[in-house]
Amino acid sequence: MLLKNTYNELIKILAKPRSYIGFIALTVLIGVILLAMKADGESFISFVTSSFEQTLSFNGLILNGNLIAFIILQMLIIHVPLLVALVTGDLVSGEAAMGTLRMMGTKPISRNSFLLSKFFAGAIYTFFLTVWLAFLSLIIGQYMFGTGDLIVLNSDGLVIIPENDIMWRYGLAFCLAYLSLLSIATMSICFSVFSDNSIGPIVSTMAVIILFTIIGSLDVPTFDHVQPFLITTHMASWRSLFEMPVPYDAIIDSILILVFHIVGFTALALWWFNKKDINT
Amino acid sequence: MKYILILVIGLFSGTIQAQDSGNDLLNRVVDKTNLVNDYSASVIITPDVPMIKSMPVKAKIYYKKKDKFKVVSKSIAILPKQGFTDVNVFLSDPKKYMVVEAGEKLIGTVQTKLLTVIANESSSEIILAKLWVDPDKAVVLASEVTTRSAGTVKIEYIYSNQIRFGLPSQIKFIVNVKEFKMPKSFSSNPHKSSTAKKNKRKVGTIVLDITNYIVNKGVSDSIFQN
Repeated sequence: MLLKNTYNELIKILAKPRSYIGFIALTVLIGVILLAMKADGESFISFVTSSFEQTLSFNGLILNGNLIAFIILQMLIIHVPLLVALVTGDLVSGEAAMGTLRMMGTKPISRNSFLLSKFFAGAIYTFFLTVWLAFLSLIIGQYMFGTGDLIVLNSDGLVIIPENDIMWRYGLAFCLAYLSLLSIATMSICFSVFSDNSIGPIVSTMAVIILFTIIGSLDVPTFDHVQPFLITTHMASWRSLFEMPVPYDAIIDSILILVFHIVGFTALALWWFNKKDINT
Repeated sequence: MKYILILVIGLFSGTIQAQDSGNDLLNRVVDKTNLVNDYSASVIITPDVPMIKSMPVKAKIYYKKKDKFKVVSKSIAILPKQGFTDVNVFLSDPKKYMVVEAGEKLIGTVQTKLLTVIANESSSEIILAKLWVDPDKAVVLASEVTTRSAGTVKIEYIYSNQIRFGLPSQIKFIVNVKEFKMPKSFSSNPHKSSTAKKNKRKVGTIVLDITNYIVNKGVSDSIFQN
């Protein structure tokens, strides 16, 4: 029953035009970035290496598909959650707004299975959005710019990762990015359970992302104890896979915090949905 | 007055003598490098530069007289901005500098002579070069080159089978790197806090292990084009 209803939920997602906005937006955004890099990427790269160029020269193919994918992932990982929330924030509240939620409650499926099928459908949608992001940034990026060593900037300087040591990092980075997006999807579905209109959960999710991002970027000691527990803080944890050596313990901590959020939001949504009086 | 005159003449003659012997030694060094019209070689570049983490990189280097130099590498190779051909080009024109023999220093087991080369032209990129030269083999074992744009670069050389051309088998560059500050937005990582400022070193080394020299067999100009 759960799988069948998940399939039904996927059909509902596919039937909504807004489900394609994320894919179209990613295609346009990444297309613009790729074209801009093709036209004027060298000047962008000089920003990366300019601090050293008085003393050192960098030889080799610096502007390559691997660097392009890194730049795109860095630019978009904060914005893609908004595209996810656009669909997942509407999964329950959309039905409440349309009046189909009450009807669904009369079907021979438990409320838990019904809501979990929406979580699974949201997870599948998020998965394909992440795959599309990976395909456009990495595969198309490598096709347009070739491959090569990856120069990564961090607060301590530059890390140059050899070409043959990159793809596994990207594999895990996109898995980590997917986990981050999944936590956002779960949060927006949870908000969706509390609402009877489509816009509320979507806007609430966006507001939380913006708020957490601002709190996370402020160098204020007051927020030092809060920042490690924010979803948005750990959305950037994929970057750690491009460190040498890779801080696996810290990455595992991030994974645990993201999983804790996913489980927490799911449990909260299930608890509320089971006791919810569905009037619409 | 007579003694003062003798002293002054003695000082001047000493300086001129140091200049002459310095010139002779430097001419021998330059003559040796002038034997090389072109070369290609394999190189392993091992950088150990503050604020840059990088693995050793394999590359191929090409040189053609008088100042064509190219590093070809599939990987990203970090090299000093100065120190390869620019010193040789500078030394190849004796009108551009004056040489003073300024002492001796033991490098390893070799008693080297220090030649201080000072640029005559105020617009010269190389302002000052200190060369520690092995007087028997007429090769530079160490140098300290001060340039207008890249500061001072110290270089150490080790020679093996291409010593007759004055081509080293290992070059070690000692470079100073300016402090590097990255905007937080550009380097945001929850697992990374910036290293304490006091722990940051500013001097790094880049070691080039050079093998498979092919000297004076011709190098195509097309290699030096981008």
